[in-house]
Amino acid sequence: MDTDLIAASVRASSPEIIVIIGACAALMLSLWPHQDQQKYLTWLSLITILLASAQTLQLSPRPVNIVETTYSGMFVVDAFATYFKMLLYLGTALTILMSGKFLQTEEAVKGEYYVLLLFALAGTMIMVSGADLLIIYIGLELQALSIYVLTGFLKTRGRSVEAALKYVILGAFSSGILLYGLSLIYGLTGSTQLGVLNSALATADLSEPMLILATVFLLVGLLFKIGAVPFHMWVPDIYEGAPTPITAYLSVASKTAAFAVLLRVFMGSLIGLEPLWSSGLAAIAVATMALGSLVALVQDNIKRLLAYSSISHVGFLLLGIIAGTTSGMSAILLYLLIYTFMTLGLFAIVILLHRDVRAGEPLTLFSGLAQSHAGLAFMAMIFLFSLAGIPPTGGFFAKFYVLVALIDAGHVTLAVIAVLLSAVAAWFYLRLIMLIYIQPAEPTTGSTAAPATGPTGHARAAILLSAPMRLVLLFSFSGTVLSGIFPAWFLAMARQASLSGLGN
Amino acid sequence: MPVDFLPVFLMVAVVSGLALFIFTLSALIRTDNPYPEKNRPYECGVDHVGEASAGLFKVQYFVIAILFVVFDVETMFLFPWAVVLKDMGLFGYIEMFVFIVLLLVGFIYAWVKGALEWEF
Amino acid sequence: MTPFPILSLVIFLPALAALMLPLVRDDRAIRWFTLTALLLDFALASGLLLAFDSESAAMQFRESYDWVPALGIGYKLGVDGISVLFVFLTALLGWISVLASWSAIQTRVREFMISLLAIQSLMIGVFCALDLFLFYVLWEAMLVPMYLIIGIWGGDNRIYAAFKFFLYTLAGSLLFLIGILVLYFAGGRTFDMLALMGQPYAFPTQAWVFVAFLIAFAVKVPMVPLHTWLPDAHVQAPTAGSIILAGVLLKMGAYGFLRFSLPMLPDASVYFAPLMIALSALAIVYGGLLALAQSDIKKLIAYSSVSHMGFITLGLFTFNMNGLSGAVIQMFNHGITTGALFLFVGLIYERTHSRDIPAYGGLIKVVPLFGIAMAAFLLSSMALPGTNGFVGELLVIAGAFGSTGWAAGAAVVGALIGAAYLLGLYRQMLLGEVRLPEGAKMWDLNAREIACAVPLLVFVFWLGLYPKPVLTLLRATLEQLLAQVIGTGA
Repeated sequence: MDTDLIAASVRASSPEIIVIIGACAALMLSLWPHQDQQKYLTWLSLITILLASAQTLQLSPRPVNIVETTYSGMFVVDAFATYFKMLLYLGTALTILMSGKFLQTEEAVKGEYYVLLLFALAGTMIMVSGADLLIIYIGLELQALSIYVLTGFLKTRGRSVEAALKYVILGAFSSGILLYGLSLIYGLTGSTQLGVLNSALATADLSEPMLILATVFLLVGLLFKIGAVPFHMWVPDIYEGAPTPITAYLSVASKTAAFAVLLRVFMGSLIGLEPLWSSGLAAIAVATMALGSLVALVQDNIKRLLAYSSISHVGFLLLGIIAGTTSGMSAILLYLLIYTFMTLGLFAIVILLHRDVRAGEPLTLFSGLAQSHAGLAFMAMIFLFSLAGIPPTGGFFAKFYVLVALIDAGHVTLAVIAVLLSAVAAWFYLRLIMLIYIQPAEPTTGSTAAPATGPTGHARAAILLSAPMRLVLLFSFSGTVLSGIFPAWFLAMARQASLSGLGN
Repeated sequence: MPVDFLPVFLMVAVVSGLALFIFTLSALIRTDNPYPEKNRPYECGVDHVGEASAGLFKVQYFVIAILFVVFDVETMFLFPWAVVLKDMGLFGYIEMFVFIVLLLVGFIYAWVKGALEWEF
Repeated sequence: MTPFPILSLVIFLPALAALMLPLVRDDRAIRWFTLTALLLDFALASGLLLAFDSESAAMQFRESYDWVPALGIGYKLGVDGISVLFVFLTALLGWISVLASWSAIQTRVREFMISLLAIQSLMIGVFCALDLFLFYVLWEAMLVPMYLIIGIWGGDNRIYAAFKFFLYTLAGSLLFLIGILVLYFAGGRTFDMLALMGQPYAFPTQAWVFVAFLIAFAVKVPMVPLHTWLPDAHVQAPTAGSIILAGVLLKMGAYGFLRFSLPMLPDASVYFAPLMIALSALAIVYGGLLALAQSDIKKLIAYSSVSHMGFITLGLFTFNMNGLSGAVIQMFNHGITTGALFLFVGLIYERTHSRDIPAYGGLIKVVPLFGIAMAAFLLSSMALPGTNGFVGELLVIAGAFGSTGWAAGAAVVGALIGAAYLLGLYRQMLLGEVRLPEGAKMWDLNAREIACAVPLLVFVFWLGLYPKPVLTLLRATLEQLLAQVIGTGA
């Protein structure tokens, strides 16, 4: 064994190693009963993430187009992976920060929560760095298994457990499909390494049924993970049932990692097969946007609404892949970053408004927020306008850049469909803003009244903003606003990450 | 190329042949005396009567089974590792050390959480 | 490049005031603070108008900074004869809106004033922007404060009206965005308007982009058949909202035609001109007929806006000097006159809480000052000689006779219908026996209300009697514009 090679491999994967060590330490710490245990665990997790991000930055390739492949070509460190890892750190750290209060209100404070989140982070990191289908799959499973447990973390709540069960079954199903596609690819090319696949498929006969089948299975498996129509059915149920911070994590970090894989596999290795998947993907993107926007119109639960909204955002993101260009890819990267800011910000507010899991999260939770908490209401409004894509928020620039890429690639019709559907989507964000700013705090008996059993009728108690929550809101709010007003810096990062190629 | 898989086919043939042979042999030479008690399903010596949800179906079995699988896999990894340890040298030693430590963390967790206690 | 960024100052002064407003204590202080900020902004805008060199057709007071250089987006500002006029109009209506809502807005004053200041910044920004991306960002961001103004402080049916307003305009704007992006790629990857104007585009591109722009601007103007959001928005909006909506926001659509469709897409403009003229003529007559049938004052004025905006689009697409300058003057006039009419409707509503025309009568005897001022604005709206409306409509009709005779005929008919409903309103409300809605508490104009009305009256008569300064201001710019359309087009 060549010790230098091994040392290089260990060094390249040191962020993952740090996270796993942190998770193990947190696991041990969780066994030590102490009244401040939650605080220590939070800090331990955050420090772990900080260390890992410092290490990632330190490893980040300079100049950016250098691609470092280790573990015999199974693991890669490039600008693309670095960008995604930073994004995942951001998403996970904000999730951890916003979890504390939620777990306390739900009386579900357990150390395993943080451990599992860190393991999920490690899984997603492996996904974005994997240069081998098997490594990617292992990362995906590590992430998925942790999230299954976290979804059902509120053991005594029926909805949470039900969501976890559904997620396990559907997740296992989709993993199976993915694995099947993966094995077909292996059978056809004799390799699972992305770099080898690229050259092996360059000369492949595109009409071969096996190849089509393999591509379809691989695509379906990944589309399942990002929740694109028609593989979206799990999204609303699981988003609704899961503890709210985990919903936030699901809609941000899990999706980000799955998109990284989708980009790396389909725009990198399988780019030669583009004729096979591009038109189908365009149809899926349109269907995803349409269904997400239209079904969201009739939701009366915040989390379900956000689930459908996230579905429609996935549709918009897929357009970047259809553009197929480098700018399409950087559009996705930028979109995911801005999406992380605005979604987590909104979820943080949902958590702040949350009273009791039994009461559910009816939309009326938002009503009258402007009178009782002007600052929070203003932030919620900015997040919602950003999700709707109204300038000068980041959400607008994200959509704008996807459209730029799309029109650059000549898909003007798709762009027109996309903007019309996002006008539809604006409707339900506006509805929430209407509730925040116009409706009085008492829930109306109108159509928006949800079947809430909890004490939603009472005047809102003052919302206490803990320091971690303030931090989350500060980060997400400034991210949302700054990326809209000074997009140049964010854009430069995303472009740099995507211009460097995909490591093969 | 099918010929490459010849050892596999041979293996399959030998295994099924052996199983068939043992079952046939024992069926021929044993005494055959079935009675009701003997035909009942049983669960490691615990009486198996009534509904599963009534607490008779011990969840601990599953915990133990999962732990067994985990540590079983550990042993499975140890065997091939032991065979080539000489070639791998110090690095192989450290690698296995990392592996065992990770398992150990899980083991401590399971132990402290009381997964190894048997509650009646 | 001017050493002093006066345009940025004019744009951002209200925004800065909006940022400081959360620190101001009570409602009274908030009102005074907002008023001061907007008066200051108005003073700056007036200075801008005076300092503007009307001999030159070039953009003046230019500022240019990189914003997102990777995409060719810049922070570029500048004004020509048209935009400087509208910056002035916006700044004028800004402080009038504050005065108009002084006592009408009693709830959530702080938020209202923040919205008002924000929309003021955005509107001025739209008129100054020389970068398409910047223009679009400001253009669409404008929806947000207007949506809140209608939605929070509007009438009983405000939620519906606010939604309708937002979604109509949003759908239009998004098509506008696609059009912008197509131009961006066809014009060499830049959002610089001046650079894009200089590019010759292939006709099919021009035609498609023109259609996209047409939908966006037609919603804003609004042109028949995309006008249905306007009556709802106007009726439900609070007075200040109506003033801004009628005074400035509707001008945005026409400004869009002037700034983008005509100079950037000259061939398509010429090609689509018959359609535009037909739609304008339709709007003039149809809007007038609808106004004739209204018994709600605000609705009547809203439909009269549709009709008057038809004059503007008609003037724009005549492609001659008379039509164009008539259109621009009419844009300014409509801002003054209709803004004033909404203001007066708001004033009377504050006293009586009724917008029902038949409930009123003989107001001129009860509140003489109010009656006289309102009469002046009504006469201006029906384009009586000596008022500003006359100059604009006359020029437009003269321009239309120069290009499409029958459309000019329609415009004349529209003007007659306008006289019918406006005189009807005048007779029913101001003359005859004294009749008041129940529970009315009448008082004549107080000092604050006079302060709102006087500047508007000044403009009504000044422009009506001596429009030369404005025409001089516009001449160079419009000549250049005309050269861009006709020179390369027909």
